[in-house]
Amino acid sequence: MRTPAGAFYRWIQTGILRGASLLTPESARGEWLREWQGELWHARRETETQGGTNEEAERSMIAFCLGAVKDAHCMRKLAAKDASSLVLFKGSATQCLVSLGAMLAASLLVARLLPGVNAALHPSQYRLEAGTVLIQNSQSEDDSRATVTGAMFEDWRARRQRYFDGLAFYRVARERVTEGGNRAGTWEVVHATPNLFGLLGQTMRPAIAENDEDFGIPKIILSETAWKRRFGGKESVLGTTVRVGNRAARVAGVLPLGRWRLPGSADAWLLDPDAEVGGIGFVVGHLTALGKAEMRSERVEISESNSDDDGSSLWAISLSERTRGPLGIYLFMVFLALLSLPAVTSVSLAEYSFSTHKPGWGRRVCRWSFLGAKIALLLTIGYFVPLDLAYAQTAGYSVAAENAQLFLSFVICLFGMRWVFLDQRQRCPVCLRRVTHPAQVGQVSRMFLAWNGTELMCASGHTLLHVPGLPTSWFETQRWLYLDTSWEFLFAGTNPS
Amino acid sequence: MASETKLSHTAAMILQAMQAGFIYGFSIMEMTGLPSGTVYPAMRRLERDGLIRSYWEKQSIADAEQRPPRKYYRLTAGGKETLEASRKRYPLLDRLIPTEEAHQV
Repeated sequence: MRTPAGAFYRWIQTGILRGASLLTPESARGEWLREWQGELWHARRETETQGGTNEEAERSMIAFCLGAVKDAHCMRKLAAKDASSLVLFKGSATQCLVSLGAMLAASLLVARLLPGVNAALHPSQYRLEAGTVLIQNSQSEDDSRATVTGAMFEDWRARRQRYFDGLAFYRVARERVTEGGNRAGTWEVVHATPNLFGLLGQTMRPAIAENDEDFGIPKIILSETAWKRRFGGKESVLGTTVRVGNRAARVAGVLPLGRWRLPGSADAWLLDPDAEVGGIGFVVGHLTALGKAEMRSERVEISESNSDDDGSSLWAISLSERTRGPLGIYLFMVFLALLSLPAVTSVSLAEYSFSTHKPGWGRRVCRWSFLGAKIALLLTIGYFVPLDLAYAQTAGYSVAAENAQLFLSFVICLFGMRWVFLDQRQRCPVCLRRVTHPAQVGQVSRMFLAWNGTELMCASGHTLLHVPGLPTSWFETQRWLYLDTSWEFLFAGTNPS
Repeated sequence: MASETKLSHTAAMILQAMQAGFIYGFSIMEMTGLPSGTVYPAMRRLERDGLIRSYWEKQSIADAEQRPPRKYYRLTAGGKETLEASRKRYPLLDRLIPTEEAHQV
């Protein structure tokens, strides 16, 4: 039976616990109160089993509950310490590296998920044989445009070649393709001579191909995208017949994503030995040893006299740059960005007036290592982020994606490097934290008498940074001023080291 | 390193009590004779330092015994190492709370 006095004591005990809980951080309050209420229940039961007067027991319970106030206060202090460690983390070198690392991890994850990036990142799968060239009319600057007529190709093929041991022709046309179930659609079809894939080498051969039996009708190779979209990725489609325009063709294989790097996009390649080589298209040639020796640059002019003897000029364009993968483009853009960097920011890291308080070797090594780590992370991000953005919409190689990668790599590397240097110049050389608390010092009107500009302070009390408002011959770039030990009392409790 | 952490005598006593099987706050208070205002804050600090780990008893067990659930504490591997180091520093610790008399509560 609970007496009024007993109820009063319990009300006080609960009140102490609830009041003390207000001291604890809100996020931990519920669990803290639950633990103390549980402990109080058990403590009370323990006291009751030990006997003694009610008054004594209730007083000991109140004493027990008063301990909760100290505990709550301790919880509050621990939470405040955690928060202050968060404040120390903010602006620190660790935070900078963690942020860059997280950005890199995200870009790597996206790269892994995007099929276009995966295809672009494995150049060995689509690298063409050395000596494979595209032959273009020299009047056209754009090598993605078809410039060679079928008649010209037939003429070259009929004659003995010194520089080429193989020539193939293809042209791209939109054709109505009717599938087995009488489903019809308009496809981009490459009409090619049968030797096209053989000339391009092993890597361009269809990955899923049936045996090479000749059924007397032309073969058609599907792109992986068309195979999945039109046939649901079923292998049973191999050997079936489709109609391209009015002609039947047998599905002979599937070309994996990203392997086709030649001009012209395609849903399928029709390899027809009997097809008349008409229209305007592209000619791919494979050089002989003599031809390779003559190929001194990526684009070489060749003279070819056709039957009309008009002496038309042609380019032999090496296809190797199309298949060297995104790394070559990226490295070239990094080189350009580094060349352009002095135009957008100073590459100097500021002057020092350390006098006798020069930081030790260890600190200096840390500072340069931090700069190196930032540059390494940034340049890696500058490789993957443009790939993610450029190949987000395309499942394989495209000239547009390559151009996008080119542009984005340059922009990210240039402005990223600019940020790296600006950030480094704002970091205390001792603790590598960003300097804070900017204060305006001096007056512009008195700049010949004393310096004017902005003074920033290291939150840990190591250094002051003086940035001139108007660069002069005697104060051109920012300067670091090292604070000696006499300043330490001002920063007591803020130094993380 | 956890074993390099130097513990106060109170904190070492609490760890020793936990090692001996006293795994919740009130039992540690009773074993060590320390007040609640000392034991619980000390346990918070030990938990923050990763020397002990807390876990809640299953609600079904507490419901079956018609009582509120308890929060139990257990020594971590680091806590055991630190306690070992503290025993050398406080040789009387084993006599104050002998681990052979341990009982699981």
